[in-house]
Amino acid sequence: MRIAWIACLAGFALACGSSFPPPNDEWSAAQADVGRAEAGGAPGVPDAKLHLQLAQEDLAKSKQLIDQDNKRAASLIAVARAEAQLALSLAKEQIAQDAAHTAQAAAQKAQADAQKAANGGK
Amino acid sequence: MRTPTVVSFVLAGLAGAFALSACGGERIPPRALVDARNEYARAKTGVTIQLDPTDVHEADLALQKAESAWNDEPDAPDTIDLAVIAQRKAQIAEAEAAAMQAQKDTEAAKAAQAQAMQAQLLAARGQLDAAHQMLNQTQSALDQTKTQLQMTAQQAEEQKKQLADLEAKLKDARDTIAKIAAVKDDSRGMVITLQGEVLFETGKWDLKPAAMAKLDIIAQTLMGKEQSMVVYGYTDNVGTRDRNMELSQKRAQAVRDYLVSKGIPADLITAQGKGPDDPVAENTSVEGRAQNRRVEIVVQPKKS
Repeated sequence: MRIAWIACLAGFALACGSSFPPPNDEWSAAQADVGRAEAGGAPGVPDAKLHLQLAQEDLAKSKQLIDQDNKRAASLIAVARAEAQLALSLAKEQIAQDAAHTAQAAAQKAQADAQKAANGGK
Repeated sequence: MRTPTVVSFVLAGLAGAFALSACGGERIPPRALVDARNEYARAKTGVTIQLDPTDVHEADLALQKAESAWNDEPDAPDTIDLAVIAQRKAQIAEAEAAAMQAQKDTEAAKAAQAQAMQAQLLAARGQLDAAHQMLNQTQSALDQTKTQLQMTAQQAEEQKKQLADLEAKLKDARDTIAKIAAVKDDSRGMVITLQGEVLFETGKWDLKPAAMAKLDIIAQTLMGKEQSMVVYGYTDNVGTRDRNMELSQKRAQAVRDYLVSKGIPADLITAQGKGPDDPVAENTSVEGRAQNRRVEIVVQPKKS
């Protein structure tokens, strides 16, 4: 009977995730991802800003869950990292698109100028 | 009693699990998982797989994990999280691929810009070369003009010098001649007047020896001046006009011929008899008539 109780308690503890180690390193890594997204220009790009906010919210939630439900906290941290990484990728995409548009406009102007020069400035 | 109860619980649990498993094929997957599948399918078939296969592979792994979780623990909150992560991974792959494509576009645009600028540079260089050529031509023409101007100035200077020399010589000549004859300037040029009595016997046109001596000096002085000369003969009004005209012509001719014989170029000197015309004094007195009987050698100014 005592063995059964011990087994039940162990099973309950396992189910609650209390044996899951606190995901402090993962939380730090997610925080770094958020920082990279911010530095990479995500706050200035609407879509990226949205995902950055989601990442920050998930990160805040996960912080509250650490030491209470570490497994759930780890899962939220993983989502936060994905959101932050997506925010950075979207910011990079927007910056690259802007640079491409600028370069294309400059190329068109240069081509027009070259044509003008070839026609003797007329 | 306790054992049958446990057994019945176990049996009930197994029955429930069986029922749940039987319904599993009809379970509706969470929205996040459906979105993740669609997102991954798009990434896998578009240009994303070509440009960013690494992120697509990561998205694939994340989706597999999410699918596995959905099969194993469909109601677990982590299952939804994994589906969201899979969707985000696929979106990351697409965004990264789009960024790469944009970078390629930027590079292509920059290359086109460089090419256009090169063409512009070439055109500008061509225009510059043409401008240089024109400048060189203008410079050459300017140099030519300068040279011509210098030559002209040099010639003018030489002519000025020659003129000054000539004037000096003429002055010397004038001074020399002035010792043996009257010399004056009028509109015709320098006029050397020799009185008729000094040159000829009355009514004759043969030169006296004294006349020849004077004419020798005049010829020597005027030689080399290259100036046109006219020898005018004059008489008084005694006698007929025809006779005076003939006499004055012959006397002028005699003086002219003598000067030619002494080296004055024949083409530069002519003779003309004027008879009693253009008297320099009244013919009413002996002195006046003597003054009118004369020969004038007019040295015309040299034309510059």
